[in-house]
Amino acid sequence: MALSVMPRELRRTTPMSAVVDFPVKPEARPYLDAYGRRPSGEPEWLGAHRRRGLTRFAEHGFPNRRSEAWRYIDLRALEEKPLLPVGPTGDADDTALRQRLVEEALSEAAYRLVLVDGRYAPGLSRVEGLPSGVWLGGMATTIAERPDLVRAAFEAPRFDAERPFTALNAAFFGDGFVLDIAPGIALDRPIEIVHLASGGTEGSLHTRNLVSAGAGSRGSILETFAGDGRYWRNDVIELQLAAGAEFGRVALVEESADAFHIGELLAVLGPAARLASLVLLLGGRTMRHEATIRSDGERTHCALRGAFVLSERQEANIVTVVDHAAPAGETREVFKGVAAGRAHGAFQGRIIVRPDAQKVDAHQLSQNLVLSPRAAIDTKPELEIYADDVKCSHGAAVGDLDEAALFYLRTRGIAHQEARRMLIEAFVQEVIESVGPAPLREHLLARLACRLSMLEEEV
Amino acid sequence: MTAPRPMLEIRNLHARLADGREILRGINLTVNAGEVHAIMGPNGSGKSTLAAVLTGREGYEISAGTVTYLDRSLLAMPADERAREGLFLAFQYPVEIPGVNNMYFLRAAINAQRRHRGEPELDAGQFLRAVRAKLKLLDIGEDLLQRAVNVGFSGGEKKRNEIFQMAMLEPRLAILDETDSGLDIDALRVVARGVNEQRAPDRAIVMITHYQRLLGYVEPDHVHVLQDGQIVESGDKDLAVELERRGYGAVGDAA
Repeated sequence: MALSVMPRELRRTTPMSAVVDFPVKPEARPYLDAYGRRPSGEPEWLGAHRRRGLTRFAEHGFPNRRSEAWRYIDLRALEEKPLLPVGPTGDADDTALRQRLVEEALSEAAYRLVLVDGRYAPGLSRVEGLPSGVWLGGMATTIAERPDLVRAAFEAPRFDAERPFTALNAAFFGDGFVLDIAPGIALDRPIEIVHLASGGTEGSLHTRNLVSAGAGSRGSILETFAGDGRYWRNDVIELQLAAGAEFGRVALVEESADAFHIGELLAVLGPAARLASLVLLLGGRTMRHEATIRSDGERTHCALRGAFVLSERQEANIVTVVDHAAPAGETREVFKGVAAGRAHGAFQGRIIVRPDAQKVDAHQLSQNLVLSPRAAIDTKPELEIYADDVKCSHGAAVGDLDEAALFYLRTRGIAHQEARRMLIEAFVQEVIESVGPAPLREHLLARLACRLSMLEEEV
Repeated sequence: MTAPRPMLEIRNLHARLADGREILRGINLTVNAGEVHAIMGPNGSGKSTLAAVLTGREGYEISAGTVTYLDRSLLAMPADERAREGLFLAFQYPVEIPGVNNMYFLRAAINAQRRHRGEPELDAGQFLRAVRAKLKLLDIGEDLLQRAVNVGFSGGEKKRNEIFQMAMLEPRLAILDETDSGLDIDALRVVARGVNEQRAPDRAIVMITHYQRLLGYVEPDHVHVLQDGQIVESGDKDLAVELERRGYGAVGDAA
């Protein structure tokens, strides 16, 4: 008899919670207890969604390293010492936060929504004067004032709930943001979303965000994640792109040196929709970005780019799944990894082409620089192709800086460290070059340069 | 009148590869400011190794000898310091550097050297004015500067870019490694003009070449023949012409 099949009798012996009648993994118990202490008063459709998430998390617990999607990241520190959801703090130091905003934020953002410790901070935000047909607000506010914009996403989720931390997020999210762009509306300048952790409380920050881009609309966001202290950010963003919508999302992750950052991007693309996603993992103890893109309509275009820059004992994992369910979709992926010190990074990229998705054209590139003997990067491309008339390719490389290029720069008088920095910067910059408009691109290049200047001191 | 202090003085230089093969076997050479030297020799004679050792490329072991450059031990300096002290190498095969903009690279190089000399850095405007003046000299379009260093450049463009960098960096001692190779006659003329423009009383140029071709355009003061890691014959520009006629095979016998 196969041992992996767990007899029903044995399952019964798993400890039961006092308030629930399903099996609970030990590491999930503190979170389950915390759920019982949540304030009530939310609509029932949201409550049901939360309970489904809680049940799922309690049953499955933390992701298991034996599962393929989580094998490259070490979550033991998080598992052993729970970081329970942070409640509303309300008294964060405004002056310090404003200073932090000056450091982190885009100087010329037209619209800015700031979340402090996972909750919308209207006093630090600037959301007035948006074009009519555009809704931008906190998730909690939206649930209260415009439930029509979000209810369907919770009542009839478009993604399966297998993801453990997405399930936990469903149970605990306190806020987030909602951007709803009516059909045909074009937002010319990026909307800036800043997620700040004040450092006041150790705990987890669960934010749930939803972007709905109507047919033929156009828009983009820059999300910056930054903070102080030890915390666990568990952020979920869902993007729904209707037919012909164009949307760009940049995630700039500059968390504190003690922070865990888990970011989940879920996107559904309608016919001829275009998505451009860029993620830069520049700061945090442990960072993970997972993107799941469902190309449900024909002729979609999906550009996924990203990079991590790691040193000391940092860890990062980028996981992407692009699922082509309809014909003639295009996917372009470029991911860059840099690891120094004793850091460890990993990229896992899956592209699925379903049987009916003929004429799909997908290309994936994963390039990685390992700058010290104790650093490591894993890269794992996976193409699953079930249609016969497709163009799919991938390339992956792990290496060191080009010695010939380094020598060439040095023969022109550029010092060794600066020459190295120039080459690393050039290597990562490729993923930023296509970002518009120019001030946003310059901002990202400056943040990258800032990170690299610290990297070289550590090498 | 006292003899001028040599800019570069190579004494009994021996260098070998990591596998123990000795490539340079006792080079002696003195180069004074204002002079142009040509070092000629057949393939495998050690020409490019000499250029590599002088500019500080890794992978060679100096087993004996000294190299004095402007009264300092050249071999004790790292490659980038040699450059900041005014040594320049025009590469035989200029390296492509994807993602590094040619202008950005050149400005970083010039400013690294200016900082080293205690001079103020060039701002974008000053730099651009300096660039435009030299571009004309080498018949280089400004678009070339907006591209990544040497990426997608033709063979001729790469060589012109090397001499353009030399013109911008204004070295004390320039080593041109097979700068004539792979150039058609028009490109060769442009490159030669660029080199000739840079002849100056306080600058020395060492041209390393297999053929006499470039020397018809850039006339050397001294010609040396390198063979099996040693300079076996030295003379004036007529030696180059003679070599072209009789070939390298006869050098040993003539000496």
